[in-house]
Amino acid sequence: MPPDNGQAIVGQAVTCAGLSHTFQTGGAPIPAIGPLDVTFAAGKTTALLGPSGCGKSTLLRLIAGLEPPSEGTIRMGAETPDEVCRRAGLAMAFQDASLLPWRSLRGNIALALTLARRQSDMDSVDRLIDMVGLSGFETRRPAELSGGMRQRAAIARCLISEPDLLLLDEPFGAVDELTRRRLNHDLPALWQARGTTALLVTHSVTEAVTLADRILVLSPRPATIMADIDIPLPHPRRGEDDPAFQDLAHRVVAALEASAEGRPLAAQ
Amino acid sequence: MTTRALDRPGLTLPPFAAKTVGIVLLFILWEAAARAYAGSFILAGPLAVTAYLAQHADLLARATARTLTNAAWGFLWGNLAAIALAVIVILLPRMERLATAVSLLIFCLPLVATGPILRVLFGTGEAPQITLAALAVHYTTFLALMVGLRAVPQSWLDLVRTHGRGAGAQLVYVRTVASLPYLTAGLQIAAPAAILGAMIGEFTGAERGLGVLTIRAMRAMDVDATWAIATLAAALSIAAYGAFGWLGRRLTGTPPALLLTAPRPAPPRTLGRRVLGLAILIVTPLLLWYGVMEAFSLNPFFAKRPADILAFLVTGPEAAAHRAALLGAYAETLAFTLPGYAAGLALGALMACALLLAPGLGTTMLPVAVALRSIPIVTTAPLIVLALGRGAAGTIAIVAVMIFFPTLVACLQGLRQTPRQVVDIFDSYASGRWRLLILARIPAMLPAFFASARMAIPAAILAVTTAEWLATGKGIGALMALTASTSDYNMLWSAITLVALTAAATYAAVSALEDAVLRVYAAEQVAR
Amino acid sequence: MTTTRTFHGLNRRTFLSTGAAATLALAGRPAFANGKDVALQLSWLHSVQFGGSYIARERGYWAQNGLNVALNPGGPNAPVEPPVVAGNALVGISAADYTAAAVAQGAPFKIIGVAMQKNPFAIASLAANPVNSPKDLEGKSIGMALANMPVLQALCTLNDVDIDAIEVIPTQYDAAPLVAGQVDSLLCWATDLPVAMAIQGVEAVTMLMADHGYAVHSQTYIATEDSLANRRDDLVALMRGEVMGWNDYLADPAAAAALTVEMFPDAGLDLPTQVMQAERQVPLMFSDLTEAQGFGWFTEDTVAQNIETLALLDRNVTADLWDRSILEDVHAA
Repeated sequence: MPPDNGQAIVGQAVTCAGLSHTFQTGGAPIPAIGPLDVTFAAGKTTALLGPSGCGKSTLLRLIAGLEPPSEGTIRMGAETPDEVCRRAGLAMAFQDASLLPWRSLRGNIALALTLARRQSDMDSVDRLIDMVGLSGFETRRPAELSGGMRQRAAIARCLISEPDLLLLDEPFGAVDELTRRRLNHDLPALWQARGTTALLVTHSVTEAVTLADRILVLSPRPATIMADIDIPLPHPRRGEDDPAFQDLAHRVVAALEASAEGRPLAAQ
Repeated sequence: MTTRALDRPGLTLPPFAAKTVGIVLLFILWEAAARAYAGSFILAGPLAVTAYLAQHADLLARATARTLTNAAWGFLWGNLAAIALAVIVILLPRMERLATAVSLLIFCLPLVATGPILRVLFGTGEAPQITLAALAVHYTTFLALMVGLRAVPQSWLDLVRTHGRGAGAQLVYVRTVASLPYLTAGLQIAAPAAILGAMIGEFTGAERGLGVLTIRAMRAMDVDATWAIATLAAALSIAAYGAFGWLGRRLTGTPPALLLTAPRPAPPRTLGRRVLGLAILIVTPLLLWYGVMEAFSLNPFFAKRPADILAFLVTGPEAAAHRAALLGAYAETLAFTLPGYAAGLALGALMACALLLAPGLGTTMLPVAVALRSIPIVTTAPLIVLALGRGAAGTIAIVAVMIFFPTLVACLQGLRQTPRQVVDIFDSYASGRWRLLILARIPAMLPAFFASARMAIPAAILAVTTAEWLATGKGIGALMALTASTSDYNMLWSAITLVALTAAATYAAVSALEDAVLRVYAAEQVAR
Repeated sequence: MTTTRTFHGLNRRTFLSTGAAATLALAGRPAFANGKDVALQLSWLHSVQFGGSYIARERGYWAQNGLNVALNPGGPNAPVEPPVVAGNALVGISAADYTAAAVAQGAPFKIIGVAMQKNPFAIASLAANPVNSPKDLEGKSIGMALANMPVLQALCTLNDVDIDAIEVIPTQYDAAPLVAGQVDSLLCWATDLPVAMAIQGVEAVTMLMADHGYAVHSQTYIATEDSLANRRDDLVALMRGEVMGWNDYLADPAAAAALTVEMFPDAGLDLPTQVMQAERQVPLMFSDLTEAQGFGWFTEDTVAQNIETLALLDRNVTADLWDRSILEDVHAA
């Protein structure tokens, strides 16, 4: 059941204050983000949309502690991203599943526990494999799995360490539409039920409206917030049948179009 | 990684038949050449070689056991050193330029300088042979392994970091296994080099081994013995090459992907840092040079220090005359190095293209290529000189023979790295294999080509100096041979310094060219 | 004739040397070697070139003088001077020209004995196109390492030959270019490449340069001044063993060749080659002078001739380079 119904919230809010980031290249510095002030509510799934190259993924990498921001702070509760990482308090899913080809499905998922310096509890690994619908494939290598199955495995690897914060960088971007719908239907409940705070970068408006509690539409580089749209629909959502869903989707598309056309404005 | 273009029926023979026919043809050619040159004591044919092998099986078995044992130990130590150095560089990326430079410089040291030092350090016995085998392998393995350790998707590394773990865990859980195909490809190149290194090491005063027998046989004009030993060394090298190829396929499931290049860290941005970096790059080898000689209390009569060379070339009383002699020889050397280097690279790249267009050739030509790489040049040089003379053609051919093999292997792998989708697109337009080669495969080959171009620099310099010593009697190579017999170790170490500087400068130039070209053709290989 | 003598000698010697070889294999050194460890650095791979040294070791001539002498082989990339300077070897086998060069570079060497009274350098040619005297070189080509240009220059100066009339072709040290007709003549040692050619059935004409004024002591024993000052006893003992060994060698060169082949089964040595080499080096090593004074001897006269020839090689030395005191002690006993 969704957290709206009073489920315990394990995650904590993520706050970005005065955040901006600039890439130092050989040539002129390229401003990528900000300034940005935003709080991602605890236990909610927030989707980030915006034109290609606007800095969505960069924002995710900053929050994951993979790069230090040029300016400003990021906090989860009182912790910095590095501190969260060190206690394995966050997990990230990548556009390609990023499974290690030489490890079995089970080995890939257990790797997250090993990296987090936790006991490799094979029972819970197998339970999670069952929950993501991959029973029977425990000993297969990634090359023997379909694209959709690999993404299921990647989500399972994220969840095995029971993180407070889940960072999803277009995890379903590389699979076909039908598979994507099935993944959108099957997987989010797994973290939403735990009350994990999640950030989802996506290009699909439908996916964003289906999964998120809130959608931020970002401007072209450097990324700032163009639109902030709440999605107060109950889960599970069935977009095709629901006029409210369609209405929200239209609002998001309109905001995206404005963002894309805002490019000449931003240049002034 | 076969591709559709490769699988098109071009040759009608089944592969094993093509292979057999190729090898039989090769033997017939060899025998014919030997008969054509009969009486000149330069080449023995397969029949004479077989007879010699049979008659002297005992002696050759003992010598082979000795040389192979040394080669194996050298292979082990050299590769362990390369692995250790690569691990250090991965954990401390700032060390890369320095580590590469030191590795390159050590690889540049000629036998004429290292031989006496190793003998004095280790005395009689096998240690110098083992060391020289190790020195022959560490550089190529280091380069190959660096690529493998680096050629890892960013997200795999991020995965480790998001769990709060650092470079160590990345190395243990991700890079190590991911680099295995590159490591085994590096070991494939290293195996013949180790055997050759052990044989050449025996030139520094060994009691027994295939190298000792080679010297003896050549002096005795025993051409059957000379070529029997060469054949044996070549066969061992081909076997070792094949074994590591097999091991690579077993370990990784796919043929080693030898993409011998990887994103290198961008140079430091500020001028101050660049100057500092360059200073460290120059000072560290000098300190190492001085430190090693002092640490082992090597006698300054033959183990010259940087200060000796400075005095000899710059501040001493006859410095100008010394400089003139050195630079005169150097100019003669450069005149052959560049064409030889270019010819070797071109030969390797062209052969790789030829093998791709006519895959049947591969099974015949690859063993020949490995063999040419593993027979001591003292055995093959007289043959090349006989065919091409002592002028430019002969020298350039000797250099080309000594460097084309790694280029061939790397380029062949590079050509096969063409993304499958690109090949499919060309196929869907029914483009011919030539169009595919020129428009898609050669650009895909460029990273590997440049990597082998970097790898070939010290080899080319060593090759030129060897050719000069054996065939032309000019240039730095002849000068170094002369210095050893006249105990002119100041001149020897001056020559080494100049050669090493040339290698380093060429390496930097090739790297710069590589960056410029790859920015266009393989942007993902250039660090952002 | 040689063959009969060889096999006659072999039968007798085989028993002895096999025994020695077995002991060697077991103990790593001769059983009777309880002496002080010193090393003699040879100038080339093991061969009968050093036959006298092998006899000295095998017959215990060093052991009875309290030494256990290691015979370290040389090779193409194993110069003799560094291990002697560094003290790894007490004595090295060099040649007067190499020693002079090393001394010019600051090495504190003295020549303490001369194994080859006559320099082994020779011009080898084929019978059909022979070089019998230095004059014959004019108009011909010669294959040699360019490093030996001063040697050719000296020969030409000594014999009034126009060096510009000789075509010098740089070659590897190998008889093949001569046999294959790439060159008309070769600069080589009389005791190696011509022997190889003879064994392969190619009879070469060998013109010994020493017979045409080229006086450079070869296979000289060198030691450092430090050793001469502080290790006289060891030097005397080592040289005494050498002298005894080479005296035995002279009595039966073929036996020395057989012993060499026996002692180094892994060296790929061929008995007929070794026998021929052993016999061809006898006239280079033994002379009226050694007959009168003993093996290794040199006089003011021979030293003076050397100084003259060395000057032609651009090596200016004085008689101080030679030190006969060790030999005097050896032969006084």
